[in-house]
Amino acid sequence: MKLLKPTWVNHNGKPIFSVDIHPDGTKFATGGQGQDSGKVVIWNMSPVLQEDDEKDENIPKMLCQMDNHLACVNCVRWSNSGMYLASGGDDKLIMVWKRATYIGPSTVFGSSGKLANVEQWRCVSILRSHSGDVMDVAWSPHDAWLASCSVDNTVVIWNAVKFPEILATLRGHSGLVKGLTWDPVGKYIASQADDRSLKVWRTLDWQLETSITKPFDECGGTTHVLRLSWSPDGHYLVSAHAMNNSGPTAQIIEREGWKTNMDFVGHRKAVTVVKFNPKIFKKKQKNGSSAKPSCPYCCCAVGSKDRSLSVWLTCLKRPLVVIHELFDKSIMDISWTLNGLGILVCSMDGSVAFLDFSQDELGDPLSEEEKSRIHQSTYGKSLAIMTEAQLSTAVIENPEMLKYQRRQQQQQLDQKSTTARETGSTASVAGVVNGESLEDIRKNLLKKQVETRTADGRRRITPLCIAQLDTGDFSTAFFNSIPLSGSLVGTMLSSQSSPQLLPLDSSTPNSFGASKPSIEPVAAAGTRPAGDSVSKDSVNATSTPAASSPSVLTTPSKIEPMKAFDSRFTERSKATPGAPALTSVTPTAVERLKEQNLVKELRPRDLLESSSDSDEKVPVTKPSSLSKRKLELEVETVEKKKKGRPRKDSRLMPVSLSVQVSSDPSMYIEVENEVTAVGGVKLSRLKCNREGKEWETVLTSRILTAAGSCDVVCVACEKRMLSVFSTCGRRLLPPILLPSPISTLHCTGSYVMALTAAATLSVWDVHRQVVVVKEESLHSILAGSDMTVSQILLTQHGIPVMNLSDGKAYCFNPSLSTWNLVSDKQDSLAQCADFRSSLPPQDAMLCSGPLAIVQGRATTSGRQAARLFSVPHVVQQETTLAYLESQVAAALTLQSSHEYRHWLLLYARYLVNEGFEYRLREICKDLLGPVHYSTGSQWESTVVGLRKRELLKELLPVIGQNLRFQRLFTECQEQLDILRDK
Amino acid sequence: MAKVSVLNVAVLENPSPFHSPFRFEISFECSEALADDLEWKIIYVGSAESEEFDQILDSVLVGPVPAGRHMFIFQADAPNPSLIPETDAVGVTVVLITCTYHGQEFIRVGYYVNNEYLTPELREHPPLKPDFSQLQRNILASNPRVTRFHINWDNTTDRLEAVENQAPALGCGAPLSCTPVKGLGLPGCIPGLLPENSMDCI
Repeated sequence: MKLLKPTWVNHNGKPIFSVDIHPDGTKFATGGQGQDSGKVVIWNMSPVLQEDDEKDENIPKMLCQMDNHLACVNCVRWSNSGMYLASGGDDKLIMVWKRATYIGPSTVFGSSGKLANVEQWRCVSILRSHSGDVMDVAWSPHDAWLASCSVDNTVVIWNAVKFPEILATLRGHSGLVKGLTWDPVGKYIASQADDRSLKVWRTLDWQLETSITKPFDECGGTTHVLRLSWSPDGHYLVSAHAMNNSGPTAQIIEREGWKTNMDFVGHRKAVTVVKFNPKIFKKKQKNGSSAKPSCPYCCCAVGSKDRSLSVWLTCLKRPLVVIHELFDKSIMDISWTLNGLGILVCSMDGSVAFLDFSQDELGDPLSEEEKSRIHQSTYGKSLAIMTEAQLSTAVIENPEMLKYQRRQQQQQLDQKSTTARETGSTASVAGVVNGESLEDIRKNLLKKQVETRTADGRRRITPLCIAQLDTGDFSTAFFNSIPLSGSLVGTMLSSQSSPQLLPLDSSTPNSFGASKPSIEPVAAAGTRPAGDSVSKDSVNATSTPAASSPSVLTTPSKIEPMKAFDSRFTERSKATPGAPALTSVTPTAVERLKEQNLVKELRPRDLLESSSDSDEKVPVTKPSSLSKRKLELEVETVEKKKKGRPRKDSRLMPVSLSVQVSSDPSMYIEVENEVTAVGGVKLSRLKCNREGKEWETVLTSRILTAAGSCDVVCVACEKRMLSVFSTCGRRLLPPILLPSPISTLHCTGSYVMALTAAATLSVWDVHRQVVVVKEESLHSILAGSDMTVSQILLTQHGIPVMNLSDGKAYCFNPSLSTWNLVSDKQDSLAQCADFRSSLPPQDAMLCSGPLAIVQGRATTSGRQAARLFSVPHVVQQETTLAYLESQVAAALTLQSSHEYRHWLLLYARYLVNEGFEYRLREICKDLLGPVHYSTGSQWESTVVGLRKRELLKELLPVIGQNLRFQRLFTECQEQLDILRDK
Repeated sequence: MAKVSVLNVAVLENPSPFHSPFRFEISFECSEALADDLEWKIIYVGSAESEEFDQILDSVLVGPVPAGRHMFIFQADAPNPSLIPETDAVGVTVVLITCTYHGQEFIRVGYYVNNEYLTPELREHPPLKPDFSQLQRNILASNPRVTRFHINWDNTTDRLEAVENQAPALGCGAPLSCTPVKGLGLPGCIPGLLPENSMDCI
């Protein structure tokens, strides 16, 4: 072990409270007291490590100093990526620093030191929340969160992807919180406070997991900090200042059951800081000795108020080394180098010490791969499943693969260079601004300077902007130079995609909102023959053009999701006897398909009604997810009326109605009942207006509801008649006799769907004149208590989808004659699944179609972010797989090719990212099909209208992203080539 | 943290005759766009003894200030000699550049100014009544004293922090013990600093 005290690392004699070595080991930061402010200094590491560099005057020692903190800086911590530095101080602030590459060297204006800052670190975020001094800050593994603790007794969890968002404020300590540490697998965060307790919090819900007090009962007095630490294998948490039999200790807390049986004893005064070595070690195998596998162990440095430092190996009973009198005052912070062989220690006395160990002393560090294997075996999850290092050792076997890899790298480079170029316009401050050198600008500044007079006659100078700052786009900047791998990409994507999603999110409820259209009695009544004794009121159910959302879709033309809602605008009007002249429109309520028995109860009556050839009909209700009026009530009232007046009550019937076809905003249908024709015969008139072209036709019976699409117009009349017309008004079929009165009518393309009051569903393709769904009963899906149909949808492939009030959605699969569950709002899979890392970069989540409509646009990515580490990884993998598979299957059943492709690619990408070879292989095999034609093959070359082999070609680059699948990649590639050559 | 930090103040045309205008090239960085203008002032300290001889040479509004680095030249006329006590006309005094936002001063840059006669004869035998036309003004540009104050940058009712006084080591430890004036010990320091600075200037 070598010991060095680099005297040049100092804050001019002022205390240094914190030290942290940059993850790349090239620099380190110190924080503490400045001249009259807080001070953060970034130092060059090489002069510490190399004596030659220390002597070389051309090698800068101090890289940057920041005096922005108004008061003493208590903690400095680099993010795991090394991109950011967080500092917290007595000014209650946490500042997040990022290196600004484009600004040349500069000094702190007015500071005595004429030393130029070699590197420029700019404050990109200031986090304000604490009401007292910030004592410690800590980045979570993967830099998803930043935690800070303060003398205000709280711990604040910041969203490190979206500063300054606060995810949680952990309250519970009753004393100054002076130390923080994250569990290396991200499941917990621990804090230690002056209230003689150490608390462990869950990251799942940010609630208290446990509070440990016993080892701290005797703790008196105060230390400035209580920096605790979690071992890299996650098994042990070691506290700062604890007491055992009146002696100061560092308490070891076992993760299993939070047991406190062991401690590090020996320091004469309170332990201020504990820091685990980031590496896990194993015994150095000596040549010749029996190669018996030794247990991996951890290494831990403990600093104390007694000014001494001890270094422990968990495999030894006694410390590896104890250094007394290292400083004149208490040790304040310790930082290990990433290779685990060096530590920097700082002290209240304002000096820093560096300890350099050899591998002989500490042991062989486990590779990251081995470390992640330990994590994986212990917790089922590793934070570094696919490390860069691991990948680089793989041999690329296929030149095509190499090409893909290269192309990927190139793209990343391009991205970087474009971002560099973006900032580049302002980049060369010292050089050129708009083609002018700074010198030129300075010369002409006075001449060019824009000076105006304000209203009150004061001079106002418009300053010349010489550089823009890259603030404001923190989140994008955050990830610019992070290699695209692992879940960070996911965070990036989610952060990028969320703004894109917003418009969609907002437009979706909009289009759904069409189900509660503004219903205004149209003045059309006034234009009708006034002599008509029966009051007429036409109802115009306007819908917001449903096509609003497709503007963001990639293939909007193919998707006409809103067609299905047509008939929901078949509003009915009821003329109440009391006010026959002017009727108010009541949006009649929910399709209230009751439990089976009630439906049964209803049915005979209906039948009775129709058999008695009465004009009466059960009032048709329209499905609406919003209106909660109950059909049964209505039915009863109608029943009563019927009983009271056995004759027909025409006022119960709509006199006229108009329907706008939402899939085609230029099209609307108008219905006018009881138009008196020659000879006193009352007819009903159907009018359809499309792009200004109008046609009319008459029907002999009252029209109850109408629906239209771009291909057909259909109306349901009394006496259970359903008539279908072409877009030009030509009758396509003789009236269809429905088995029971109509409830809801839908048209999509050439498909007509009729839902009857007896809860049966039929779908016909009127062009091909075939039945798609034949009188299928809804009872099987409505079984259970109190369920209603909240939304009905007919896809363009004629697949009916029922959204039920319990959040489930079923589609009818005509080929299997089954109801299939395609969506469940309460689906826990959807909530656990985390596939953000597999989302395609551009059109993330921008997939629309029947499935999206059925499932709603509720993206759970927000919740997933919070669950990033919460579920054991294996469970999360399984749920994600299950969820993605069900999505693929649902899209397939709905025959939504666009969505099928989207989910399939997503699924494949997830398989690639997580390394599931068998399933990936199966997919590829199915998509590829038999290369050599064989008659016995059942293989279909297309799936929902997509060519499977084209899909496979799309998949290839995805597969090529993971070197592990290069064999599979090669196989598919070669076979596709063979097929192409054929 | 201050939204505006001054990066540099370059003293232009220095030294110059007493009657020529002051000219400072100020560059500053703004971390987020400011809603309102900054107000800059040049204050000439007529006499170290008393504030009542301070002259505000000029004040300008600077804006709009978006996030980024900016620079402008602040020019102000020379002080009115009639307002300067005759005894203080020659020798070292101070010029201050201050900047305020919403009426709160957040930075004060002070420079020592040495006014002296150009010719050795006049230097040795200064006229009883100062001859300002013969005076040369030399601003000790290399040694600004910067004092920063924590102010409320937002309109929120943040409690103001204690004044933070950043005094770079001037190479003379002692004089900082003087009583602060306007939260800044600068004018009072001058007597103690005088010999040394005079040396610097010459």
